[in-house]
Amino acid sequence: MIPRAKGEARPESFWLLVFGCLSALCLALCGQSPLAHAEVAAVASASASAEPAEHAEAVSPAPSMARLTHGLSAGVDGQAVPESDRPPGALPDDNGPSPAVFPTQDLTIRFNHRRHVKDLKLSCTSCHEKARSSRQAADSLLPKGTRCDACHGSDHRDLMQVRADPQAAIGQCAYCHLGYSSSAGNRVAPLSLPKPNLRFDHALHVSRNIGCAQCHGAVENLELATRDQLPRMRGCLNCHQAPDPAAGRARSQCRTCHLTDPNGLIKVSFASGPLSPPSWLHDAGHGPDWIERHKVVAGNDSRFCANCHTEKSCADCHDGRVRPRQVHPNDWISMHPVAARENQLKCASCHRDQSFCLTCHQRVGVTMSGPFANLVERGRFHPAKSEWTDGPRTPRHHAWEAERNISACVSCHVERDCAICHATAARGGRGSGFPAGPGQGSDPHPIGFRSRCASALRQNARPCLVCHTPDDPNLLDCR
Amino acid sequence: MVAKLTRTLLIGLALGSGVGLASEARAYQTEIDATLDAQFYSLQSPYGSPLVQRRRYTQTLALNLYDIQTDRRPFGPTLSFKSRLRLDSDFGQRPEERNPDSASYVPGLVEAPVDVMYAFLDGQRYLDGYLGFRLGRQYVVDSLGFWSFDGAEVLITTPAYLAFEAYVGFEQRGGLPMLSGSRFEAGGVSRGDRSGLSFGQSPSFLQESKLAPAYGFAIESSGVQFLHSRFSYRKVINRDAVLVSPFLDNGGGLTYALGDRTSSERLGYSLRADKADLGAVLGSIVYDLYNRRVSQYNVGLDWFASDRAVIGASVDYFLPTFDGDSIFNWFAHRATTSGTLRADLAFSRQFELAASGGVRMFTTEGDPATYAASSAPGPSQDGRSFDYLGTLGGRYRFWDGSLALNTMAEAGNAGHRYGGDLTGRKQFDGGYYDSLAVLSLYDWEDALRPDRGATSFSYVLGGGINPNFLSFSRGRLGVEWEHTMNHLVGQRYRMLATLNFSVLR
Repeated sequence: MIPRAKGEARPESFWLLVFGCLSALCLALCGQSPLAHAEVAAVASASASAEPAEHAEAVSPAPSMARLTHGLSAGVDGQAVPESDRPPGALPDDNGPSPAVFPTQDLTIRFNHRRHVKDLKLSCTSCHEKARSSRQAADSLLPKGTRCDACHGSDHRDLMQVRADPQAAIGQCAYCHLGYSSSAGNRVAPLSLPKPNLRFDHALHVSRNIGCAQCHGAVENLELATRDQLPRMRGCLNCHQAPDPAAGRARSQCRTCHLTDPNGLIKVSFASGPLSPPSWLHDAGHGPDWIERHKVVAGNDSRFCANCHTEKSCADCHDGRVRPRQVHPNDWISMHPVAARENQLKCASCHRDQSFCLTCHQRVGVTMSGPFANLVERGRFHPAKSEWTDGPRTPRHHAWEAERNISACVSCHVERDCAICHATAARGGRGSGFPAGPGQGSDPHPIGFRSRCASALRQNARPCLVCHTPDDPNLLDCR
Repeated sequence: MVAKLTRTLLIGLALGSGVGLASEARAYQTEIDATLDAQFYSLQSPYGSPLVQRRRYTQTLALNLYDIQTDRRPFGPTLSFKSRLRLDSDFGQRPEERNPDSASYVPGLVEAPVDVMYAFLDGQRYLDGYLGFRLGRQYVVDSLGFWSFDGAEVLITTPAYLAFEAYVGFEQRGGLPMLSGSRFEAGGVSRGDRSGLSFGQSPSFLQESKLAPAYGFAIESSGVQFLHSRFSYRKVINRDAVLVSPFLDNGGGLTYALGDRTSSERLGYSLRADKADLGAVLGSIVYDLYNRRVSQYNVGLDWFASDRAVIGASVDYFLPTFDGDSIFNWFAHRATTSGTLRADLAFSRQFELAASGGVRMFTTEGDPATYAASSAPGPSQDGRSFDYLGTLGGRYRFWDGSLALNTMAEAGNAGHRYGGDLTGRKQFDGGYYDSLAVLSLYDWEDALRPDRGATSFSYVLGGGINPNFLSFSRGRLGVEWEHTMNHLVGQRYRMLATLNFSVLR
């Protein structure tokens, strides 16, 4: 950027620039990309400049187009970045780090790290010197323009009066600032590098002798550093994985790096998007099927969930406030009997059959016992007695259903309904007790129960005494 | 106009709480969170009557204090207090439903109870990170389920990648009293206040007057990213004197069970091992010590095929078990086992798809014709039933909204359910207004009751105002209108109004 006072004579390079623009126009008509225009402009400017010996390649009087496209992308000459040069933890198709953590950038500059580090033997901190002392991720570690001046011949000391080196192509504004054109207001396009939504202490890591490449990958092999060279959480966890007392300050807690709200929870909402766990992190990707899957992850490590969620998150669904439509869609009240008989596990995660379900069923009169149990107009809920009770034991027989899904049965029935038939005659039921007599078939115990009955009786005799009298020989056997 | 009224209302609430909080400088953070939900809908018996009118008003009020400890430093100890109260009322109840002398009496029904959902003091990272504790009514979430108790929990984290947890207290019973919906005790029983009931009235509604002692411990890994495992044990004890038999004794009397009895005693173990560039193994198992049976297990294998695709397979095993006081433990013979394949695909950060399919199987214990007998039939005589299940979900997020599709299909002996929801959300005016639209279509058939099958269409329209008028507060007033149409209910309407308000500073 070279601001001029009004009336100031246009420098000679202006005409060179005009020539360059015309050349660029010609090239554009021949199919060149708009990006190349600036390059050509720079070339045109450079063509009249003397070149420092150490920058012979960059400032040769008539450099080829191929040589001037460097520094525009991460890979050398626009090639893909080798996986080995990417930051530790980067996956082949991860498209860079999460934009919630590192918001998208608008890089309006051309820079070739490979040339500066490998060819010119500069170190990372030659330019990014603040990395040694930065304590916050929000610190800008980009070098100021003055850092470039020593080699490029420009003068960035006063950003309102930046001067290019008229003698050197590498000293021209357009050499680094993409799209620069002195004819378009003589301004450079703004560079947008939003602050990361992260906690990070560069100084602390440097003091631990952690090199730049351990987080950023082999930037010295690349040209332009993009978002893809920013660290990946998987890479961070290479070191941050120890329990609190052993970890020193390299703790594995999420809040070590992630921003938190005043209540200590991880901040998950950003202007650049929502923050949620990647699929590889504890297999906890919050995809469209997360509501189906969360049980396994939360049951294994609920403290992990507690980094972002409070008890309220669990209670809103599991301790019911409002019907969660994603779990109970449409006319759930009419549909739920089918669902309950299909998948009792899901129901049991929130509902208790003998309290929640039964209470409601009693209110609406679909139970065998309760306020509306004996009204003649109730009709029959189950299939005909010939199938449900007396027929062969197909899936339409109550015994099959009870053995498969007793939870659904007892969402309507109380123990009395079962004991009427299954309790021993001595206890007031019609059944013969345990074991079943020939033809009775009313013993509800599973096969192999005898081997377990003593333990159950010892721990809690109440259910045994519902159907058996204390002097029942079968009960005595169990003792 | 509505926005203005809402704003005025919320500012009033803010002044009532936030201004009071701001009266003096302090180190700790205070959070007040209030939610109000009003729902109006009807439930009709499948037989036509009765018609239960629901006029539900639910309010929760949370008070949380963070950083109560005097010194605040990174990775230092923290002390916080978290609590939430709930008023859960149903003004649609008829008084006779709560009158034991009425034929309409429903045990356990309460009109407007207030309960403490949780209230505990939470200490973390004391003694250089070794010690954590919780004191009060709190939740425990692990392979043994979602559970709550009143008591104390201590967590000791060691440098050896292991943490030890122990707790003792009393199981929270009652949960959501309006629906008698206890959430935390083992199933198979219904407990509550029997005062006013005669001895023989509702015998399966068990007396609850004594606290139920509970204790447990857990050993889990700590600090290892690629592995987490937790072994847990829990025991709950019943102490109430409860009626035993629904029938009179030979002598015409009633028998009670007295003394300490096992309510539930379980062991659980869960494991997750993952490698970010390969996949993960997740699994858990629960052994019911009272029943002496494995009551649940699940094993899942997930392959992270790429950063955008996860392919997985899982097996779930579930055998229902109940409270030790329940007779139903002996009716459940075999578990249902489900096998599922799934795929999660993230085409971009905005567009994701998930699909799954599988089968659920039940096998009878021997020959269905004789399996109630004590003899042991050969396995070739087993009877089997299968359910087939599948889901397809998708989500597209754009700048100020989202579009989500959730579909499912399950078919088997119980009948079938097919259907899906299309849900759209959009914000306006930078999030000041939000809107919701849901289209839902389901078809189901009840194999046991063919007349209860239906094809049902439902839509929901909703909207809200989010006047975040102070930097430290959030508020939302929302209304939803739901309209369902099918031949079973004709036209059913439900209206839901919510008011949420939160102050954190």
